[in-house]
Amino acid sequence: MIKDANFVPRGTRLAADVCVVGAGTAGIPLALSLSGKGLTVLLLEAEHVPGGATRHWNGRCVPLDPLDFQARPQVPNSGWPISYEGLLPYYARANAWLEAGAFAYDARQVLPAGPMVASVDGEVLRLHGLERYSCPTDFGRRYRKRMQVATDLRVLTGARCTALRLDATGGTIRGLDVATRAGNRFGVRARAVVLAAGALQTARLLLCSRDLAPPGASFALDAIGRYAHAPLSGTVGSFTVAGDPARMRHGFEQAADGAYCRRRLTIDAQQQDALGLMNAAARLVPADGAGDAAPASALAWWQAIGRHAHGLARAPWQAPSLLADGWRHAVAPRRLPEVAPRVPARRLAVELQVEQQPLPSSRVLLAEEGDTLGMRRLRVDWRQCLADVESARRSLRLMSDELARCRVGRLEFEPGTLREALLHRPPARLVGTARMGRDLRTSVVDPDGKLHTVGNLYVAGAPVFPTCGQADPALTEVALALRLADRLVQRLQPRRAPAEELYA
Amino acid sequence: MNVLVLGADLHVGARLVALLRQAPWAQVTGATVRGPARRGGPLRLDTPAALAQALVDTDAVVDCSAPDPAWRPDEVRGLAHAAQEAGSPRMVFLSGIAVYGHRHAVAHEHTDAPRVLGRRGRALLAAERHVGDYAATGAQAVVLRPGHVWGPGSDEGVHRLAEALRCGRLGDLGPAGDGWSNLVHVDDVCAAAMRAVQLPPAPGAVRTYNLAAPDSPRWNEYFIDLALAIGATPVRRLRQVPMRLRAALGALLQSWLGEPLISPQMLRTWRQHLKLDARAATRDLRLHWTPYPTALHEAATWYLRQARSREHRRRMPSLHPPAR
Repeated sequence: MIKDANFVPRGTRLAADVCVVGAGTAGIPLALSLSGKGLTVLLLEAEHVPGGATRHWNGRCVPLDPLDFQARPQVPNSGWPISYEGLLPYYARANAWLEAGAFAYDARQVLPAGPMVASVDGEVLRLHGLERYSCPTDFGRRYRKRMQVATDLRVLTGARCTALRLDATGGTIRGLDVATRAGNRFGVRARAVVLAAGALQTARLLLCSRDLAPPGASFALDAIGRYAHAPLSGTVGSFTVAGDPARMRHGFEQAADGAYCRRRLTIDAQQQDALGLMNAAARLVPADGAGDAAPASALAWWQAIGRHAHGLARAPWQAPSLLADGWRHAVAPRRLPEVAPRVPARRLAVELQVEQQPLPSSRVLLAEEGDTLGMRRLRVDWRQCLADVESARRSLRLMSDELARCRVGRLEFEPGTLREALLHRPPARLVGTARMGRDLRTSVVDPDGKLHTVGNLYVAGAPVFPTCGQADPALTEVALALRLADRLVQRLQPRRAPAEELYA
Repeated sequence: MNVLVLGADLHVGARLVALLRQAPWAQVTGATVRGPARRGGPLRLDTPAALAQALVDTDAVVDCSAPDPAWRPDEVRGLAHAAQEAGSPRMVFLSGIAVYGHRHAVAHEHTDAPRVLGRRGRALLAAERHVGDYAATGAQAVVLRPGHVWGPGSDEGVHRLAEALRCGRLGDLGPAGDGWSNLVHVDDVCAAAMRAVQLPPAPGAVRTYNLAAPDSPRWNEYFIDLALAIGATPVRRLRQVPMRLRAALGALLQSWLGEPLISPQMLRTWRQHLKLDARAATRDLRLHWTPYPTALHEAATWYLRQARSREHRRRMPSLHPPAR
């Protein structure tokens, strides 16, 4: 059921087997996967509607690469404590949750047409990489009915968790303090607590609660809030096609399962290791397009309309196809991610998405001032390393050389402006503020997502990423949440006989 | 054992007769209570006297005629009456999922009937009561409540949906297709009926079993898988409002444009979060459910073969003279 937290009697103490804080990308799949397993679940959402970050996102789904899970000398603090193969079954399920079609990210198997560019050979460039696009699915709306009909799941909206209460030893969560904007306050007692509120709010809650811990408690982990990072992206250069531009396949194509896909250009994993490069992927986009790296705003919307009007004036015969694409982009239930001119262009723009190093100095901190509920606000001190930009430059140079060698076209970029192109604005979604690892000094949670020093506190989703790779985090967030749900069921061992799985 | 199968002209009944013919322990007679009599077709029992005659020396009667749109629950009362006079053979009645109404829950066999029931649900529940009255006289009776029957030969479960997928009237429905499909392969329903005929005697009480494969997916997943299997791609994501409008005009669109009929009831079913708990059937009837991928492959193969043959007929009418 879904209820407004203002209707919970003031001062009561709600009980549940699992309390999930945050009904968003990780929280909703996690809570629904726990439903029907003989556990009672309480899902707290600070906003008035569930959905979190999925309410406004671009829908891009890309899994991490196997090399992202390895410790690489060229990426300090890299290496996941879990394997890519271990996460694979959850990736397949995560794809279904995000409605991005089948878990198939090889263009050779998914798209019937040939490669992005013909005649590229050698072992350096990979042209069959793929990114899939979700509807984009808003979890709050898509799975609302499931949340409503689940008898063992209670969703409270407008419920902001303000503190985690530890017991005297600091080793177990005793309860949670919850407040609403209207002033209602109540508590929650749970056998396990999962923080799934995104990298910023999870870190804020942990940092706030760290101060509340009794003196000498082992809760205080230095890594909380550190290593905040995200994939860097931007339009970095241009690509001029050498042959017939109609033979380039760089736009959106629909897979048989209905999901829109786009091809990506990546560098072979062995080459990355040999040359000491960080992971990167490039997309070729229309040169006059805003690109999906641009912020969604009314101004960007009008600029796009202006661009298309200008394009139509030059090629009026494109009008029907542009209108159809406009309909697919703005009205259709599965959105075409971007409207692009249908006439093949010789000159394209290059969008690069590159991994960022996780730095301990890049962190989120508590500010002095508090909000209306008495929680200290968050200050984001996101830092970058010039090595990230340098790696991007070398990756682009390598791509450029290879494409020129194969006589496919000319990739041009200005090294001097690369830094500005990649760091022109802070990333939309940070990861890594409660990273996963085995070392207590450099990580916050263990490979299962449990805090190293607290027996029943778990973190799900973006905060646990040790490294971000070049992929958007949404798909991996959902996969990790589903994995944590399985681990929780094993750990909590439901006392009642599990019902048939109904809701997840 | 002499087994009389009623509704032998329908999907489940016909398949049950075919499977019982292969069983060494059964002597089967296929019969129907309505429809035109055909040479070589099922026996036509359209009068009480004919029914009473057919029940003489019958050890078990399996009534599979409820899926017929013209079926009425009174027919079960007539059957029970005739069976009682003929020495009370065991009765197996194929009911349906409609008895659980429009609720969103896990449905067990002992779940109470909802207060509000559709026309079909009321009819099936009335028929189940007649079966109960029959059992109360000391006879043996089993009620099977299959979910949505599919597999080769299924018109509602495969053919109509595949046609709708092909012409873009069906696809991924989002929240409107999020309900559980409760699919059950026709062979699993027949296996359950055959085991029900052979169950150890328990006179005086009706034993009721839900039938749905434990791995049956949500409707969306089934639609997408079926579309991929029959090549109706790319799968379209559809909005709810146009679907409802088309469903409201369903019969008109069917007659004017030849579109496959999608009714408002079907839309309601597809968004219903109702899951049949079939653990009792698995245990007591020792069922080995057909795995979903196998059933999907069979259904798609059957549909494609049928579509090819229809296409061949359309292109070469001279090779396929109309049947007299």
